Amino acid sequence: MSARYGFVIDLDRCTGCGACTVACAAENNVPPAQARATPRTGLTPMLVRKVSNGMEGTARREAFIPIACMHCGNETPCVSVCPQQAVEVDKATGIVVQMPQRCLGCRYCMTACPYHARYFNWWDPAWPVGMEKSLNPGVAVRMRGVVEKCNMCPARLHSAQEKAAAAGRKEIDPADYIPACAEACPTGAILFGNLADEKDPVFPAAHSSDAFRLLARLGTEPKVYYKSQQAWVKALAERDSDRATEARHG
Amino acid sequence: MKVNRRDMLIGGAGALAGLVLTPVPWKLLSDVSIWTQNFPWIPQPAHGPVETKYSVCTLCEGGCGMRVRMAANYPVGVAGVGSHPLTRGALCPLAFAAHQLNWHPRRLREVRHAGRAASWTEAQAAFQKACGEGPIAIVDGRPGRAASSVFEAFTRKRRGSYQIVLSAESQALAPYANWSGVPVASLGFDLENARTVVSFGAPVLDGWGTPGRFTRLWSERAGGAADPQLRLIQIEPTLSRTAARAWQWVPVREGSEAALAAGVARVLWEERLVTSQGPLPQLPPAEAAAQTGLTPEAIRELAQRMVENRPAVVIAADGNPAIAALNVLLGAVGTPGGIVKKRKDVPSRVPADSVPGPLRAVLVDSTVPWEFAAPTDAEVFRFAAWDGGGNSAGWLLPAPVFLEELTDVPTPPTSARETYAVALNLAEPPREVRSAAQFLLQIDPTLPAVEKLIHARCEEIYRARQGTVYGEHPTAVAKLDSAQHFEEQLRQGAVWMGEPPGPGKLRCELKEWPMENRVAHAGSWATAWVPPVFPALATKLYQESNLREPPAGRQA
Amino acid sequence: MSVKKNLFIAGIGMGLAIVTGWTAFPRALYVRREQPLTFQHKTHSEKSGLTQCDACHALGSDGEFRGNPGIETCAGCHADKVGTSKSEATLVDVYIKPSRETPWLVYSRQPANVWFSHAIHTRRAGLACGECHGAIGESDQSRIYEQNRISGYSRDIWGHSISRLGRAPGDGMKMSDCEDCHHRRNVEVGCLGCHK
Repeated sequence: MSARYGFVIDLDRCTGCGACTVACAAENNVPPAQARATPRTGLTPMLVRKVSNGMEGTARREAFIPIACMHCGNETPCVSVCPQQAVEVDKATGIVVQMPQRCLGCRYCMTACPYHARYFNWWDPAWPVGMEKSLNPGVAVRMRGVVEKCNMCPARLHSAQEKAAAAGRKEIDPADYIPACAEACPTGAILFGNLADEKDPVFPAAHSSDAFRLLARLGTEPKVYYKSQQAWVKALAERDSDRATEARHG
Repeated sequence: MKVNRRDMLIGGAGALAGLVLTPVPWKLLSDVSIWTQNFPWIPQPAHGPVETKYSVCTLCEGGCGMRVRMAANYPVGVAGVGSHPLTRGALCPLAFAAHQLNWHPRRLREVRHAGRAASWTEAQAAFQKACGEGPIAIVDGRPGRAASSVFEAFTRKRRGSYQIVLSAESQALAPYANWSGVPVASLGFDLENARTVVSFGAPVLDGWGTPGRFTRLWSERAGGAADPQLRLIQIEPTLSRTAARAWQWVPVREGSEAALAAGVARVLWEERLVTSQGPLPQLPPAEAAAQTGLTPEAIRELAQRMVENRPAVVIAADGNPAIAALNVLLGAVGTPGGIVKKRKDVPSRVPADSVPGPLRAVLVDSTVPWEFAAPTDAEVFRFAAWDGGGNSAGWLLPAPVFLEELTDVPTPPTSARETYAVALNLAEPPREVRSAAQFLLQIDPTLPAVEKLIHARCEEIYRARQGTVYGEHPTAVAKLDSAQHFEEQLRQGAVWMGEPPGPGKLRCELKEWPMENRVAHAGSWATAWVPPVFPALATKLYQESNLREPPAGRQA
Repeated sequence: MSVKKNLFIAGIGMGLAIVTGWTAFPRALYVRREQPLTFQHKTHSEKSGLTQCDACHALGSDGEFRGNPGIETCAGCHADKVGTSKSEATLVDVYIKPSRETPWLVYSRQPANVWFSHAIHTRRAGLACGECHGAIGESDQSRIYEQNRISGYSRDIWGHSISRLGRAPGDGMKMSDCEDCHHRRNVEVGCLGCHK
């Protein structure tokens, strides 16, 4: 019985705190920024973007959209362009798995990804002296020159699988596998689960009338759904994620 | 047969052809490719047994429940604790990378005096000398801990005074302390029972109070729905994160919050929306409208909304009495859902801005915010974990940080119920690091040790037989068989929470409506943060993304 | 310049290269390192009656493999010297007394991006330890650890035979070896199944 892991992110609950971003970086051994890093060259496998309805004054509304790899299920763009077969759609889980160790850094996948969810290691990862003691042993550290992205925290999936095997079970206990972002979200905006299991809470959430996917018209069948009761947020879904209105600071 | 150069070349060509038939090129290719995947300068995680320890976060006074994943006996990950009675699994974004703070480049690892390296022996000698020469003060940024008792005991034996610094959240409660005579540490916001929360500038969804507490409450009872159980009305000039998710955002002109409060109060009084008789604010709604930039109708609507879904409570982020008085008018003092008095009486404390007379020396604990300015003529002994770049004339003493010392976590300032927890030391501190309590204990070994005080406090709570211990499953204290069992549970990360506050024990007397004209503290996400540095991964939130503004005056 | 002479010289060159490539090269490629002390598997299992590998090389509570036993396990019997061997003296004086972990050289150490679950392979698949690790339990001394000078890994990963022909069980732990066994037993796993 293969699973299709996915997310339903409630945009009415997301306060833009950034806990998911930090938790993802801590879990996946993402290094802190180099001095020269910018939003374009930084490493944020989970990234929260601020969007607005474009109005000013009291009519202004803002929302926050956490964006990570959408784990596209149909004609996955990055998989089809990779010359190294460094990324594949895992048959057992539906996770689009990026193998940085196989990557040769051509960045074709970054161009192909319609969600701009892939990040390049422009620099060798560097932590302040001693901080490497706090690295998560379940995740391999990448090097300069390779692309990385959200892999749905495979370290946690592995732990769940190992725990199940030790207990004599073939299937994992769903409560044992939750990616760092979903676990971290303080408002519970990020719901994670198996979209192929009708009994999983994520199933009715993904099929509710308030649920939508970004750039659904492209037909990539992303496994990350969003939901909101606000019409202006739903309307943003069909626009290019980069050109979506973003509020300026100050 | 003479061998010439051509022969060598031919021999070489033969050798090359022969090499192809050996493992040499193939094995070398394979090994070099493996070498390129294992460059020695790429850091590797440590190997070791993995375990999970339950504890409580000590980055701020909030005390959110936290579990720490350890590998090879070192913290490698942080997550929330669903069974924590106040936070139910929520944490602020900074907690997830806080286990890396111990290695921040600005970590203090040596004693410094007047900008140059010194030693603990010198510091101890200087402090002892100062104690003998004149009055001293000890400033504590997080009162109520076992370490705080050590500070108090030390100052009691000498010519000294124990001072505390109130956090911003405590300052929000200060007006009620003044009006009721009940100490600030005994007051709290009963947010769990409120149905309308009117926040004047308090970032309640973004790190205010115990960060996990209100985010969970709001998520469960509001969650951005159009008609929620819990209505959050956010009053502030800019559309902050909290305002963006609030049920209603009221955009007042900066600095006019007090005027808005007065205008709303006037409407409440005039239209008999409240029953309490109290002083009448002098500002008519029309005048308030002019000052705030809102319409008189908007002010009337706000007043209406404050009473239609009760209980309602007002939070004045900066403790402005002009805004805090609204709770008195709404009857939200001493009632469920409003300002409440916690069960246990706590002796009164003096906040640090009223330090008496000239001092010979001041010892400032590491929990005091870096912005605190000690009296300049006194010799300053500043405990800190990171160099905030401040005072270079006094003593800078390296203190332990997050996860490095055994400490207790008393009730957070805004909580409506008493709580108590113990935070374990899960990481070895650098050798040169010492806490203020340890420093004082070395000067005066007759002082009680922190561990003993925690033990005594556990016994005290157990003997009172009140409240519940929230470990893996909640258990009433009355059902536990021994104080030792109770303490063991706390040392394994369980949290004790006391009984709900009793009704009607709090009354505030207001003689006239306060009209304090304060510029509202434009809270940025960084200001509630006590240490002067951020976890390294916080760069994901501002430098590597546009999510947040770069924190002013802080370094990641 | 006869063709024969050239061929002869080329042949000599070729011959030398082939001989060197098959004999000197494999020897030079690896540096021989001794374990910190020699461990007698057979004697220990006889003396203690523990014949199963997982008596000391156990799984933790959540199924994670604990690897070589820690120094406390050794200290359980060897807190003081019980024998006369030099290895034991090293164990007690250099490691047990100062409470230091013995820095064993692990023959089967894989790169950091490899995830191998002992729980899944021994419990779920029912593989015997010897199928991958050989008959190490029958040995009474620790083998020399041959470390590849370039890649840094043990010779056990490539296998002792430089041509990779005629390998015994436990000799050869490259990705292709894992793939072969998976193919033979018809267990399909994607990249995610073995990498982290």
